[in-house]
Amino acid sequence: MSTDIAVRTRGLTKRFGATTALADLDLDIPAGCTFGYLGPNGAGKSTTLRLLVGLLRPSAGTAEVLGHDVGRDHARIRTRIGYLAGDFRAPAALTGRRYLDDLAALRGCAGTGAADRLAERLGIDLDRRIGSLSHGNRQKIGIIQAFQHDPAVLVLDEPTTGLDPIVQRIFLTMLRDTTAAGRTVVLSSHVLSEVDAVADVVAIVRAGRLVVVDTVARLEARTRRHIDLRFDGPAPLDELRRTPGVVEVAAGDGTVRVTVEGSTVDLVRVLGHHEVVDLVSHEVDLGEIFLEHYEGTT
Amino acid sequence: MLLVGIMAGLWPSVRDVYDTELLEAYPEAMRELFDIDAMASGTGYLDVELFSIVLPAMFLLAAVGRGARAIAGEEQDGLLDVVLLGRPSRPRVLAEKAAGLTVGVVALGGALWCSIAILGPVVDLDVDLLALTVGSAAMVLLGVLHGLLALAVGAATGRRTRALVVAGTLALAGYVLHVVGALVDAVEPWRPLSPFTQAIVNGPISRDVPVGFASLAATSLAVTVVGAFRFARRDIGIG
Repeated sequence: MSTDIAVRTRGLTKRFGATTALADLDLDIPAGCTFGYLGPNGAGKSTTLRLLVGLLRPSAGTAEVLGHDVGRDHARIRTRIGYLAGDFRAPAALTGRRYLDDLAALRGCAGTGAADRLAERLGIDLDRRIGSLSHGNRQKIGIIQAFQHDPAVLVLDEPTTGLDPIVQRIFLTMLRDTTAAGRTVVLSSHVLSEVDAVADVVAIVRAGRLVVVDTVARLEARTRRHIDLRFDGPAPLDELRRTPGVVEVAAGDGTVRVTVEGSTVDLVRVLGHHEVVDLVSHEVDLGEIFLEHYEGTT
Repeated sequence: MLLVGIMAGLWPSVRDVYDTELLEAYPEAMRELFDIDAMASGTGYLDVELFSIVLPAMFLLAAVGRGARAIAGEEQDGLLDVVLLGRPSRPRVLAEKAAGLTVGVVALGGALWCSIAILGPVVDLDVDLLALTVGSAAMVLLGVLHGLLALAVGAATGRRTRALVVAGTLALAGYVLHVVGALVDAVEPWRPLSPFTQAIVNGPISRDVPVGFASLAATSLAVTVVGAFRFARRDIGIG
């Protein structure tokens, strides 16, 4: 990973009337890194990304991409940024190929065949009218338009929306290839597992304020996870409560819900001594992460 | 144009009717406003039947609709983001849209000119081609002004409806001022402010090029520049 900074914000603030959508954001995103931007709906993720590509104008502060102010120096960086909007839409009457060719011409990358290669990878027919495509396939068109000019910085707002699990996996591989080639990815999501799979660094935003910036591993180590267990026989409740990392054990209706903070290694070791007939591990609850970090910062 | 064809086709019978005392039946104000006394000539017939209301309305509808769609419409449909990110600057995007709109309206004016120039002689509708050029240019300038106004308001606000309402209201106000100014002495001094008066005061089909053509072109340019200024500084896609 390069030590150059691909994206830098200082005091970046966006107000819509009396509402502050983003407050005083300071970020340094290194080049060659995948930066996961997490938060619940309405937290300010899309606002931040639209500020980073210059579609919104800051109320205060600055946003720089590749060392250029995104508003003032747009002409210098326009071909070096790829952007996928959270609610990506494209002209229904055009075929995917015509739409992508037009955009390639705008960005000076016509005739490279990049769109065809990406389409083959994602499994989409570019000769169909966009209006006839499913939501997932339209999202693939959006992904291709963001990638096809091989930008140095990709800004992707909830990019896996509507994609089936197989295509999601292909897409995450594309992201890894992109950063391996030295490109930078800024990726927003409300799904931690998705960010976990590709992100080097994660930021959590809530109510327009940055709550934490950290690596995924360290973030998960500090967060709580729920695991539902069913035992063949009586549940070893006391032993579970004594297990390091377990912060709560709730029994009921044949199932025991165990809440673990950080690593689950000790819990797995304890369970190895018992007859576990079912185990369901739930996604880390982002709401709880936000709450924890909020409590820690207020 | 179908409309021009129909109106030209009606000319021989209309000419015969207007040769009679029918003209005398119109109130003096109506005769003055629409220059009905001129209906007995081909030029007057076209002025009254096409170039005074119908054609300006058609040019305005086409241009204002396109102007409101061009930026505000694309923005509200979620199509503008990638276009703006691919272009060097927002004012340039607006300039390209303005140029496209102007070319479209000029093409419409060209079609109008050709229709009358070709169909006129067929039905013995004698129209001077230079005067026809001035009349067609008047339609084009009215269309371009209001189309660019809709484009600029749409670019400045991101709202298609607002662009339509502002351009439509000003067009209506301009037309009312043009009409009322011809009938009411107290309003007459304000009449030159109306784009319609500026465009069609001499005919509209006339060999005299109105001075108002220059102010229509200048106003069109001015509203585009103001729209570009605001467009460059506002947020995109929050409407």
